[in-house]
Amino acid sequence: MRLWAVASNTFKETIRNRVLVNILLFAIALILISLVVGEWSLGHQSKVIKDFGLAAMSLFGLLIAIFIGIRLMVQEMEQRTVYLILSKPIRRWEFVLGKYLGLACTLALNVLLMSVTLWAVVLVQEGRIDFGLAPAILLIYMEIGLIVAFALLFSTFTSPTLSALFTLIIFVIGHTTSFLRDFILLYPDKPLLWLFKAIYTVMPNLENLNIKMAAVQHLATPPHAVLFGFLYGLGYIAFVLILTVMVFEKKDLK
Amino acid sequence: MPKTVIQIEGLTKIYKGELGQKPVIGIEALDLDVREGEVFAFLGPNGAGKTTTIKLMTRLLFPTKGNILIMGLPLTSRDAMRRVGYLPEQPNLYGYLTGGEFLDFIARIFDLPSDRRKRRIPEVLGLVGLSDQAGRAIRTFSRGMMQRLGLAQALINDPDLLILDEPMSALDPIGRKDFRDIILGLKKAGKTLFFSSHILSDAELVADRIGILKKGRLVQTGRLDDLMGSRTGTIEVTFIPNKGRPSKSALQSYDFETQGRKILVRLEREDDLPSLLRGITRAGAKLVSVIPQRKSLEDIFMAEIGR
Repeated sequence: MRLWAVASNTFKETIRNRVLVNILLFAIALILISLVVGEWSLGHQSKVIKDFGLAAMSLFGLLIAIFIGIRLMVQEMEQRTVYLILSKPIRRWEFVLGKYLGLACTLALNVLLMSVTLWAVVLVQEGRIDFGLAPAILLIYMEIGLIVAFALLFSTFTSPTLSALFTLIIFVIGHTTSFLRDFILLYPDKPLLWLFKAIYTVMPNLENLNIKMAAVQHLATPPHAVLFGFLYGLGYIAFVLILTVMVFEKKDLK
Repeated sequence: MPKTVIQIEGLTKIYKGELGQKPVIGIEALDLDVREGEVFAFLGPNGAGKTTTIKLMTRLLFPTKGNILIMGLPLTSRDAMRRVGYLPEQPNLYGYLTGGEFLDFIARIFDLPSDRRKRRIPEVLGLVGLSDQAGRAIRTFSRGMMQRLGLAQALINDPDLLILDEPMSALDPIGRKDFRDIILGLKKAGKTLFFSSHILSDAELVADRIGILKKGRLVQTGRLDDLMGSRTGTIEVTFIPNKGRPSKSALQSYDFETQGRKILVRLEREDDLPSLLRGITRAGAKLVSVIPQRKSLEDIFMAEIGR
Protein backbone atom coordinates (compact mmCIF):
# COMPACT_ATOMS: atom_id res chain seq x y z
CA MET A 1 0.00 0.00 0.00
CA ARG A 2 2.84 2.41 0.85
CA LEU A 3 4.49 1.77 -2.50
CA TRP A 4 1.19 2.35 -4.31
CA ALA A 5 0.54 5.47 -2.25
CA VAL A 6 3.84 6.92 -3.52
CA ALA A 7 3.12 5.65 -7.06
CA SER A 8 -0.34 7.21 -7.20
CA ASN A 9 0.98 10.47 -5.77
CA THR A 10 3.74 10.53 -8.39
CA PHE A 11 1.14 9.80 -11.07
CA LYS A 12 -0.86 12.82 -9.91
CA GLU A 13 2.33 14.91 -9.75
CA THR A 14 3.37 14.09 -13.30
CA ILE A 15 -0.11 14.22 -14.81
CA ARG A 16 -0.58 17.71 -13.34
CA ASN A 17 2.83 18.83 -14.58
CA ARG A 18 2.56 21.46 -17.29
CA VAL A 19 5.93 20.50 -18.75
CA LEU A 20 4.62 17.01 -19.41
CA VAL A 21 1.46 18.33 -21.06
CA ASN A 22 3.56 20.59 -23.27
CA ILE A 23 5.90 17.78 -24.30
CA LEU A 24 2.92 15.55 -25.02
CA LEU A 25 1.25 18.24 -27.14
CA PHE A 26 4.54 18.72 -28.96
CA ALA A 27 4.80 14.98 -29.67
CA ILE A 28 1.18 14.78 -30.84
CA ALA A 29 1.74 17.84 -33.03
CA LEU A 30 4.78 16.13 -34.55
CA ILE A 31 2.70 13.04 -35.32
CA LEU A 32 0.01 15.19 -36.93
CA ILE A 33 2.62 17.11 -38.93
CA SER A 34 3.71 13.75 -40.31
CA LEU A 35 0.51 13.89 -42.43
CA VAL A 36 1.90 16.94 -44.22
CA VAL A 37 5.43 15.52 -44.45
CA GLY A 38 3.93 12.30 -45.82
CA GLU A 39 2.31 14.26 -48.64
CA TRP A 40 5.75 15.38 -49.84
CA SER A 41 7.07 11.87 -50.18
CA LEU A 42 5.41 10.51 -53.25
CA GLY A 43 4.27 6.93 -52.88
CA HIS A 44 5.69 6.50 -49.40
CA GLN A 45 3.25 8.56 -47.39
CA SER A 46 2.27 5.80 -44.98
CA LYS A 47 5.82 4.74 -44.29
CA VAL A 48 6.95 8.30 -43.67
CA ILE A 49 4.01 8.95 -41.35
CA LYS A 50 4.73 5.81 -39.31
CA ASP A 51 8.45 6.51 -39.27
CA PHE A 52 7.86 10.06 -38.18
CA GLY A 53 5.28 9.05 -35.58
CA LEU A 54 7.43 6.37 -33.97
CA ALA A 55 10.45 8.68 -33.94
CA ALA A 56 8.34 11.34 -32.24
CA MET A 57 7.48 8.82 -29.52
CA SER A 58 11.14 8.02 -28.93
CA LEU A 59 11.99 11.70 -28.78
CA PHE A 60 9.12 12.19 -26.36
CA GLY A 61 10.66 9.56 -24.11
CA LEU A 62 14.04 11.25 -24.04
CA LEU A 63 12.50 14.64 -23.27
CA ILE A 64 10.35 13.15 -20.52
CA ALA A 65 13.37 11.43 -18.98
CA ILE A 66 15.33 14.68 -18.94
CA PHE A 67 12.61 17.10 -17.94
CA ILE A 68 10.40 14.95 -15.68
CA GLY A 69 12.43 11.88 -14.61
CA ILE A 70 15.34 13.89 -13.26
CA ARG A 71 13.15 16.51 -11.61
CA LEU A 72 11.14 13.78 -9.93
CA MET A 73 13.78 13.05 -7.30
CA VAL A 74 15.57 16.39 -7.32
CA GLN A 75 12.36 18.25 -6.56
CA GLU A 76 11.61 15.96 -3.62
CA MET A 77 14.99 16.86 -2.14
CA GLU A 78 14.94 20.56 -2.98
CA GLN A 79 11.42 21.01 -1.64
CA ARG A 80 12.28 18.79 1.36
CA THR A 81 9.10 16.77 0.85
CA VAL A 82 11.29 13.68 0.91
CA TYR A 83 12.00 14.40 4.61
CA LEU A 84 8.31 14.15 5.38
CA ILE A 85 7.85 10.90 3.56
CA LEU A 86 11.00 9.03 4.58
CA SER A 87 10.50 9.81 8.27
CA LYS A 88 7.32 7.72 8.06
CA PRO A 89 7.19 3.93 8.23
CA ILE A 90 8.21 3.49 4.62
CA ARG A 91 11.40 1.90 3.30
CA ARG A 92 13.55 3.82 0.90
CA TRP A 93 13.21 1.11 -1.75
CA GLU A 94 9.44 1.48 -1.54
CA PHE A 95 9.83 5.20 -2.15
CA VAL A 96 12.15 4.75 -5.16
CA LEU A 97 10.00 2.05 -6.75
CA GLY A 98 6.84 4.03 -6.01
CA LYS A 99 8.25 7.08 -7.74
CA TYR A 100 9.30 4.99 -10.72
CA LEU A 101 6.02 3.12 -11.04
CA GLY A 102 4.03 6.35 -10.80
CA LEU A 103 6.01 7.84 -13.66
CA ALA A 104 5.80 4.57 -15.61
CA CYS A 105 1.99 4.76 -15.38
CA THR A 106 2.02 8.35 -16.64
CA LEU A 107 4.32 7.32 -19.49
CA ALA A 108 2.03 4.42 -20.39
CA LEU A 109 -0.92 6.77 -20.59
CA ASN A 110 1.03 9.21 -22.74
CA VAL A 111 2.37 6.54 -25.07
CA LEU A 112 -1.19 5.27 -25.42
CA LEU A 113 -2.42 8.77 -26.32
CA MET A 114 0.34 9.15 -28.91
CA SER A 115 -0.34 5.68 -30.29
CA VAL A 116 -4.04 6.46 -30.72
CA THR A 117 -3.06 9.69 -32.50
CA LEU A 118 -0.65 7.82 -34.77
CA TRP A 119 -3.21 5.11 -35.51
CA ALA A 120 -5.81 7.78 -36.31
CA VAL A 121 -3.39 9.49 -38.70
CA VAL A 122 -2.58 6.15 -40.35
CA LEU A 123 -6.34 5.41 -40.56
CA VAL A 124 -6.85 8.68 -42.44
CA GLN A 125 -4.00 7.79 -44.78
CA GLU A 126 -4.49 4.06 -45.30
CA GLY A 127 -8.12 3.61 -44.40
CA ARG A 128 -7.18 0.97 -41.82
CA ILE A 129 -5.64 0.76 -38.40
CA ASP A 130 -2.17 -0.72 -38.56
CA PHE A 131 -1.90 -2.88 -35.46
CA GLY A 132 1.44 -4.12 -36.80
CA LEU A 133 2.93 -1.04 -35.11
CA ALA A 134 1.98 -2.34 -31.65
CA PRO A 135 5.16 -4.43 -30.97
CA ALA A 136 7.34 -1.46 -31.98
CA ILE A 137 5.35 0.83 -29.68
CA LEU A 138 5.67 -1.67 -26.82
CA LEU A 139 9.45 -1.68 -27.20
CA ILE A 140 9.54 2.13 -27.47
CA TYR A 141 7.75 2.16 -24.14
CA MET A 142 10.38 -0.18 -22.70
CA GLU A 143 13.11 2.10 -24.02
CA ILE A 144 11.51 5.17 -22.44
CA GLY A 145 11.15 3.21 -19.20
CA LEU A 146 14.83 2.32 -19.27
CA ILE A 147 15.98 5.88 -20.00
CA VAL A 148 13.78 7.17 -17.18
CA ALA A 149 15.27 4.57 -14.81
CA PHE A 150 18.75 5.86 -15.67
CA ALA A 151 17.57 9.45 -15.14
CA LEU A 152 16.27 8.46 -11.71
CA LEU A 153 19.56 6.74 -10.86
CA PHE A 154 21.71 9.73 -11.84
CA SER A 155 19.46 12.19 -10.03
CA THR A 156 20.00 10.36 -6.72
CA PHE A 157 23.68 11.21 -6.57
CA THR A 158 24.46 14.09 -8.89
CA SER A 159 23.21 17.51 -9.95
CA PRO A 160 20.27 17.90 -12.36
CA THR A 161 22.54 19.21 -15.12
CA LEU A 162 24.97 16.32 -14.86
CA SER A 163 22.05 13.88 -14.59
CA ALA A 164 20.63 15.24 -17.85
CA LEU A 165 24.04 14.99 -19.52
CA PHE A 166 24.61 11.41 -18.32
CA THR A 167 21.11 10.39 -19.40
CA LEU A 168 21.71 11.87 -22.83
CA ILE A 169 25.03 10.00 -23.06
CA ILE A 170 23.30 6.72 -22.17
CA PHE A 171 20.71 7.39 -24.89
CA VAL A 172 23.34 8.14 -27.52
CA ILE A 173 25.67 5.26 -26.56
CA GLY A 174 22.68 2.94 -26.22
CA HIS A 175 21.85 3.53 -29.87
CA THR A 176 25.42 3.22 -31.10
CA THR A 177 26.74 0.15 -29.28
CA SER A 178 26.57 -1.83 -32.51
CA PHE A 179 29.21 0.55 -33.94
CA LEU A 180 31.31 -0.11 -30.86
CA ARG A 181 31.00 -3.85 -31.42
CA ASP A 182 32.02 -3.45 -35.07
CA PHE A 183 34.97 -1.30 -34.00
CA ILE A 184 36.12 -3.93 -31.48
CA LEU A 185 35.87 -6.67 -34.13
CA LEU A 186 37.60 -4.65 -36.84
CA TYR A 187 40.45 -3.26 -34.75
CA PRO A 188 41.32 -5.85 -32.11
CA ASP A 189 44.83 -4.36 -31.62
CA LYS A 190 43.90 -0.72 -31.00
CA PRO A 191 44.87 0.86 -27.66
CA LEU A 192 42.10 1.46 -25.15
CA LEU A 193 40.20 -1.49 -26.61
CA TRP A 194 39.47 -2.65 -23.07
CA LEU A 195 37.60 0.61 -22.49
CA PHE A 196 35.43 0.11 -25.55
CA LYS A 197 34.82 -3.49 -24.52
CA ALA A 198 33.82 -2.37 -21.03
CA ILE A 199 31.44 0.27 -22.41
CA TYR A 200 29.98 -2.26 -24.84
CA THR A 201 29.44 -4.78 -22.04
CA VAL A 202 27.94 -2.42 -19.46
CA MET A 203 25.92 0.01 -21.55
CA PRO A 204 22.42 -0.94 -22.63
CA ASN A 205 21.98 -1.79 -26.28
CA LEU A 206 18.89 0.22 -27.08
CA GLU A 207 18.87 -1.21 -30.61
CA ASN A 208 17.54 -4.42 -29.01
CA LEU A 209 14.40 -2.37 -28.38
CA ASN A 210 14.27 -0.86 -31.84
CA ILE A 211 12.07 -2.67 -34.31
CA LYS A 212 10.61 0.50 -35.79
CA MET A 213 12.05 -0.15 -39.24
CA ALA A 214 10.59 -3.63 -39.48
CA ALA A 215 7.20 -2.43 -38.23
CA VAL A 216 7.08 0.42 -40.73
CA GLN A 217 8.26 -1.74 -43.63
CA HIS A 218 5.75 -4.46 -42.70
CA LEU A 219 8.62 -6.89 -42.34
CA ALA A 220 7.75 -9.82 -40.18
CA THR A 221 9.38 -9.42 -36.77
CA PRO A 222 9.78 -12.83 -35.19
CA PRO A 223 7.81 -13.01 -31.93
CA HIS A 224 10.90 -14.12 -30.08
CA ALA A 225 12.66 -10.86 -31.07
CA VAL A 226 9.84 -8.85 -29.53
CA LEU A 227 9.86 -11.08 -26.46
CA PHE A 228 13.64 -10.79 -26.21
CA GLY A 229 13.46 -7.01 -26.48
CA PHE A 230 10.73 -6.87 -23.86
CA LEU A 231 12.61 -9.09 -21.40
CA TYR A 232 15.90 -7.31 -22.13
CA GLY A 233 14.27 -3.96 -21.34
CA LEU A 234 12.57 -5.31 -18.25
CA GLY A 235 15.77 -6.92 -16.96
CA TYR A 236 17.82 -3.80 -17.55
CA ILE A 237 15.20 -1.59 -15.87
CA ALA A 238 15.25 -3.92 -12.85
CA PHE A 239 19.06 -3.76 -12.77
CA VAL A 240 19.13 0.06 -12.91
CA LEU A 241 16.40 0.34 -10.27
CA ILE A 242 18.32 -1.99 -7.94
CA LEU A 243 21.38 0.25 -8.39
CA THR A 244 19.22 3.31 -7.67
CA VAL A 245 17.89 1.73 -4.48
CA MET A 246 21.42 0.78 -3.38
CA VAL A 247 22.63 4.36 -3.85
CA PHE A 248 19.55 5.91 -2.24
CA GLU A 249 19.56 3.53 0.75
CA LYS A 250 22.94 4.91 1.85
CA LYS A 251 22.27 8.54 1.06
CA ASP A 252 22.34 11.12 3.85
CA LEU A 253 19.49 13.54 3.28
CA LYS A 254 21.24 16.68 4.53
CA MET B 1 8.68 6.39 36.75
CA PRO B 2 7.57 7.38 33.24
CA LYS B 3 8.89 5.29 30.38
CA THR B 4 11.78 6.50 28.27
CA VAL B 5 10.47 7.50 24.85
CA ILE B 6 13.70 8.75 23.29
CA GLN B 7 17.01 7.27 24.33
CA ILE B 8 20.13 8.63 22.66
CA GLU B 9 23.57 7.27 23.51
CA GLY B 10 26.89 8.57 22.26
CA LEU B 11 25.36 9.98 19.10
CA THR B 12 27.93 11.43 16.75
CA LYS B 13 27.54 12.66 13.20
CA ILE B 14 30.52 13.83 11.22
CA TYR B 15 29.86 15.13 7.72
CA LYS B 16 32.54 14.24 5.24
CA GLY B 17 34.21 17.29 3.80
CA GLU B 18 33.60 17.83 0.12
CA LEU B 19 36.43 18.35 -2.34
CA GLY B 20 39.34 18.66 0.07
CA GLN B 21 37.38 20.44 2.79
CA LYS B 22 37.71 19.33 6.39
CA PRO B 23 35.07 17.07 7.90
CA VAL B 24 32.41 18.96 9.84
CA ILE B 25 31.09 17.82 13.20
CA GLY B 26 27.29 17.89 13.16
CA ILE B 27 26.78 16.43 16.60
CA GLU B 28 29.24 14.89 19.03
CA ALA B 29 28.77 12.26 21.76
CA LEU B 30 25.18 13.22 22.51
CA ASP B 31 23.50 11.40 25.40
CA LEU B 32 19.88 12.26 26.01
CA ASP B 33 16.72 10.74 27.46
CA VAL B 34 13.20 12.07 26.96
CA ARG B 35 10.46 10.57 29.08
CA GLU B 36 6.83 9.85 28.35
CA GLY B 37 4.54 12.89 28.53
CA GLU B 38 7.42 15.38 28.56
CA VAL B 39 7.76 18.47 26.40
CA PHE B 40 11.45 18.74 25.63
CA ALA B 41 12.86 21.85 23.97
CA PHE B 42 16.11 21.44 22.09
CA LEU B 43 17.76 24.83 21.97
CA GLY B 44 20.81 26.27 20.35
CA PRO B 45 21.96 28.86 17.84
CA ASN B 46 21.94 28.15 14.11
CA GLY B 47 24.41 25.43 13.21
CA ALA B 48 24.50 23.99 16.75
CA GLY B 49 23.30 20.57 15.57
CA LYS B 50 19.58 20.66 16.36
CA THR B 51 18.36 19.71 12.88
CA THR B 52 21.16 17.15 12.50
CA THR B 53 19.97 15.42 15.68
CA ILE B 54 16.37 15.47 14.52
CA LYS B 55 17.32 14.09 11.11
CA LEU B 56 19.25 11.31 12.81
CA MET B 57 16.15 10.56 14.91
CA THR B 58 14.01 10.33 11.80
CA ARG B 59 16.42 8.18 9.73
CA LEU B 60 17.13 10.94 7.21
CA LEU B 61 20.79 10.87 8.22
CA PHE B 62 22.90 7.94 9.32
CA PRO B 63 24.98 8.31 12.51
CA THR B 64 28.76 8.05 12.44
CA LYS B 65 28.58 6.55 15.93
CA GLY B 66 26.03 6.01 18.64
CA ASN B 67 22.56 4.70 19.03
CA ILE B 68 18.97 5.96 19.13
CA LEU B 69 16.01 4.05 20.52
CA ILE B 70 12.44 5.24 20.16
CA MET B 71 10.14 3.64 22.73
CA GLY B 72 12.79 1.02 23.24
CA LEU B 73 12.86 0.12 19.54
CA PRO B 74 15.61 0.76 17.01
CA LEU B 75 14.90 3.27 14.26
CA THR B 76 14.82 0.50 11.68
CA SER B 77 11.65 -0.78 13.36
CA ARG B 78 8.52 0.12 11.43
CA ASP B 79 6.57 -0.12 14.70
CA ALA B 80 8.67 2.66 16.20
CA MET B 81 8.13 4.95 13.20
CA ARG B 82 4.40 4.29 13.20
CA ARG B 83 4.21 5.96 16.61
CA VAL B 84 6.15 9.08 15.61
CA GLY B 85 4.92 12.28 13.99
CA TYR B 86 7.52 14.59 12.44
CA LEU B 87 7.35 18.13 11.15
CA PRO B 88 10.50 19.34 9.33
CA GLU B 89 11.62 22.94 9.45
CA GLN B 90 9.56 25.13 7.12
CA PRO B 91 8.17 22.25 5.09
CA ASN B 92 7.31 22.66 1.45
CA LEU B 93 4.39 20.37 0.81
CA TYR B 94 3.21 18.99 -2.53
CA GLY B 95 1.81 22.12 -4.18
CA TYR B 96 -0.14 20.18 -6.82
CA LEU B 97 -2.27 18.43 -4.18
CA THR B 98 -5.12 19.82 -2.13
CA GLY B 99 -4.83 19.80 1.66
CA GLY B 100 -7.18 16.81 1.87
CA GLU B 101 -5.36 14.85 -0.86
CA PHE B 102 -2.04 15.46 0.86
CA LEU B 103 -3.25 14.19 4.22
CA ASP B 104 -4.84 11.17 2.53
CA PHE B 105 -1.47 10.39 0.91
CA ILE B 106 0.35 10.61 4.25
CA ALA B 107 -2.32 8.50 5.95
CA ARG B 108 -1.89 5.82 3.28
CA ILE B 109 1.84 5.70 4.02
CA PHE B 110 0.84 4.86 7.59
CA ASP B 111 -1.41 2.10 6.20
CA LEU B 112 -4.50 3.69 7.74
CA PRO B 113 -7.60 1.99 6.34
CA SER B 114 -9.98 4.05 4.22
CA ASP B 115 -12.70 4.53 6.88
CA ARG B 116 -10.15 5.69 9.45
CA ARG B 117 -8.61 8.09 6.94
CA LYS B 118 -12.03 9.60 6.25
CA ARG B 119 -12.55 10.21 9.98
CA ARG B 120 -9.03 11.31 10.84
CA ILE B 121 -8.42 13.88 8.06
CA PRO B 122 -11.23 16.28 9.12
CA GLU B 123 -10.19 15.76 12.76
CA VAL B 124 -6.60 16.91 12.27
CA LEU B 125 -7.60 19.70 9.89
CA GLY B 126 -9.93 20.96 12.62
CA LEU B 127 -7.20 20.69 15.23
CA VAL B 128 -4.85 22.95 13.26
CA GLY B 129 -7.58 25.37 12.20
CA LEU B 130 -7.78 24.42 8.53
CA SER B 131 -11.21 22.73 8.51
CA ASP B 132 -12.44 24.70 5.52
CA GLN B 133 -9.26 24.33 3.46
CA ALA B 134 -9.37 20.60 2.65
CA GLY B 135 -10.24 21.21 -1.01
CA ARG B 136 -7.82 24.06 -1.61
CA ALA B 137 -4.60 23.55 -3.62
CA ILE B 138 -1.56 23.69 -1.35
CA ARG B 139 0.31 25.95 -3.77
CA THR B 140 -2.12 28.73 -2.81
CA PHE B 141 -1.44 28.31 0.93
CA SER B 142 0.37 31.00 2.92
CA ARG B 143 3.53 30.04 4.84
CA GLY B 144 1.54 29.92 8.08
CA MET B 145 -1.13 27.66 6.56
CA MET B 146 1.60 25.41 5.19
CA GLN B 147 3.06 25.10 8.69
CA ARG B 148 -0.36 24.20 10.09
CA LEU B 149 -0.89 21.59 7.39
CA GLY B 150 2.59 20.31 8.17
CA LEU B 151 1.53 19.83 11.77
CA ALA B 152 -1.69 18.15 10.61
CA GLN B 153 0.32 15.54 8.67
CA ALA B 154 2.51 14.97 11.74
CA LEU B 155 -0.65 14.21 13.74
CA ILE B 156 -2.44 12.05 11.16
CA ASN B 157 -1.31 8.78 12.77
CA ASP B 158 -2.20 9.98 16.30
CA PRO B 159 1.47 9.61 17.31
CA ASP B 160 2.74 9.05 20.85
CA LEU B 161 5.85 11.08 20.08
CA LEU B 162 5.94 14.31 18.09
CA ILE B 163 9.23 15.63 16.75
CA LEU B 164 8.99 19.20 15.55
CA ASP B 165 11.88 21.08 13.96
CA GLU B 166 11.57 24.84 14.56
CA PRO B 167 7.77 24.60 14.50
CA MET B 168 7.11 28.25 15.29
CA SER B 169 9.81 30.04 13.33
CA ALA B 170 7.68 30.80 10.27
CA LEU B 171 4.59 31.92 12.16
CA ASP B 172 3.21 35.34 13.01
CA PRO B 173 2.42 36.11 16.70
CA ILE B 174 -1.16 34.81 16.41
CA GLY B 175 0.02 31.67 14.66
CA ARG B 176 2.64 31.11 17.36
CA LYS B 177 0.05 31.50 20.09
CA ASP B 178 -2.22 28.99 18.31
CA PHE B 179 0.69 26.60 17.87
CA ARG B 180 1.65 26.87 21.54
CA ASP B 181 -1.96 26.13 22.50
CA ILE B 182 -1.96 23.07 20.24
CA ILE B 183 1.30 21.87 21.82
CA LEU B 184 -0.09 22.37 25.31
CA GLY B 185 -3.25 20.51 24.27
CA LEU B 186 -1.18 17.60 23.00
CA LYS B 187 0.84 17.60 26.22
CA LYS B 188 -2.43 17.44 28.16
CA ALA B 189 -3.43 14.47 26.03
CA GLY B 190 -0.29 12.68 27.26
CA LYS B 191 1.82 13.00 24.11
CA THR B 192 5.58 13.34 24.30
CA LEU B 193 6.94 16.31 22.40
CA PHE B 194 10.47 17.01 21.28
CA PHE B 195 10.97 20.29 19.50
CA SER B 196 13.87 22.43 18.44
CA SER B 197 13.69 26.17 18.61
CA HIS B 198 15.68 29.32 18.72
CA ILE B 199 12.66 31.30 19.93
CA LEU B 200 13.35 31.10 23.65
CA SER B 201 10.14 32.76 24.82
CA ASP B 202 8.07 30.03 23.13
CA ALA B 203 10.22 27.29 24.61
CA GLU B 204 9.93 28.86 28.06
CA LEU B 205 6.15 28.82 27.83
CA VAL B 206 5.66 25.19 26.83
CA ALA B 207 8.74 23.13 27.74
CA ASP B 208 9.18 20.93 30.81
CA ARG B 209 12.81 20.24 30.09
CA ILE B 210 15.40 21.80 27.86
CA GLY B 211 18.69 20.86 26.33
CA ILE B 212 21.10 23.50 25.04
CA LEU B 213 23.41 22.64 22.19
CA LYS B 214 26.56 24.48 21.29
CA LYS B 215 28.75 23.53 18.35
CA GLY B 216 27.40 19.98 18.30
CA ARG B 217 27.72 19.38 22.03
CA LEU B 218 25.04 19.31 24.68
CA VAL B 219 26.17 21.92 27.20
CA GLN B 220 23.15 22.05 29.47
CA THR B 221 20.11 19.93 30.14
CA GLY B 222 17.54 19.83 32.89
CA ARG B 223 14.07 20.75 34.05
CA LEU B 224 13.30 24.34 33.20
CA ASP B 225 12.03 25.01 36.75
CA ASP B 226 15.22 23.64 38.30
CA LEU B 227 17.50 25.54 35.95
CA MET B 228 15.73 28.82 36.48
CA GLY B 229 15.13 28.19 40.22
CA SER B 230 18.73 27.33 40.95
CA ARG B 231 19.88 30.56 39.45
CA THR B 232 17.94 33.16 41.42
CA GLY B 233 19.40 36.50 40.46
CA THR B 234 19.12 39.86 42.13
CA ILE B 235 16.30 41.04 44.40
CA GLU B 236 14.90 44.45 43.55
CA VAL B 237 13.53 46.46 46.51
CA THR B 238 11.63 49.69 45.77
CA PHE B 239 10.53 52.20 48.43
CA ILE B 240 9.52 55.87 48.85
CA PRO B 241 11.78 57.61 51.43
CA ASN B 242 10.23 59.39 54.42
CA LYS B 243 11.52 62.99 54.37
CA GLY B 244 14.79 61.91 52.85
CA ARG B 245 15.23 58.89 55.16
CA PRO B 246 16.88 56.53 54.93
CA SER B 247 19.49 58.90 53.56
CA LYS B 248 21.51 58.16 50.47
CA SER B 249 24.63 57.95 52.59
CA ALA B 250 22.97 55.15 54.57
CA LEU B 251 22.49 53.27 51.30
CA GLN B 252 26.12 53.64 50.20
CA SER B 253 26.82 49.94 50.71
CA TYR B 254 24.00 48.99 48.26
CA ASP B 255 23.60 49.19 44.48
CA PHE B 256 20.74 51.69 44.16
CA GLU B 257 19.24 54.29 41.86
CA THR B 258 16.69 57.06 42.25
CA GLN B 259 13.58 56.77 40.09
CA GLY B 260 11.62 59.99 40.62
CA ARG B 261 10.32 59.84 44.20
CA LYS B 262 11.25 56.20 44.51
CA ILE B 263 14.54 54.49 45.26
CA LEU B 264 15.34 51.09 43.76
CA VAL B 265 17.89 48.92 45.51
CA ARG B 266 19.37 45.83 43.87
CA LEU B 267 20.52 43.14 46.27
CA GLU B 268 22.91 40.54 44.98
CA ARG B 269 22.58 38.42 48.14
CA GLU B 270 19.29 37.32 49.66
CA ASP B 271 20.95 37.55 53.13
CA ASP B 272 21.06 41.36 52.86
CA LEU B 273 17.27 41.63 52.56
CA PRO B 274 16.26 41.54 56.30
CA SER B 275 18.63 44.33 57.32
CA LEU B 276 17.56 46.54 54.39
CA LEU B 277 13.88 46.01 55.20
CA ARG B 278 14.55 46.83 58.91
CA GLY B 279 16.28 50.08 57.86
CA ILE B 280 13.36 51.04 55.58
CA THR B 281 10.81 50.35 58.36
CA ARG B 282 12.82 52.23 61.02
CA ALA B 283 13.03 55.31 58.74
CA GLY B 284 9.24 55.21 58.30
CA ALA B 285 9.70 54.91 54.51
CA LYS B 286 6.96 53.32 52.37
CA LEU B 287 7.87 49.95 50.91
CA VAL B 288 6.56 49.64 47.32
CA SER B 289 7.80 46.23 46.17
CA VAL B 290 10.25 43.38 46.76
CA ILE B 291 10.78 41.43 43.53
CA PRO B 292 13.19 38.51 43.30
CA GLN B 293 14.57 38.59 39.77
CA ARG B 294 14.46 35.03 38.36
CA LYS B 295 16.79 34.27 35.56
CA SER B 296 14.94 33.89 32.30
CA LEU B 297 15.61 31.11 29.84
CA GLU B 298 17.35 33.73 27.76
CA ASP B 299 19.79 34.42 30.64
CA ILE B 300 20.55 30.70 30.94
CA PHE B 301 20.89 30.35 27.20
CA MET B 302 23.18 33.34 26.83
CA ALA B 303 25.30 32.20 29.76
CA GLU B 304 25.81 28.77 28.16
CA ILE B 305 26.28 29.91 24.59
CA GLY B 306 28.46 32.88 25.49
CA ARG B 307 30.91 30.78 27.52
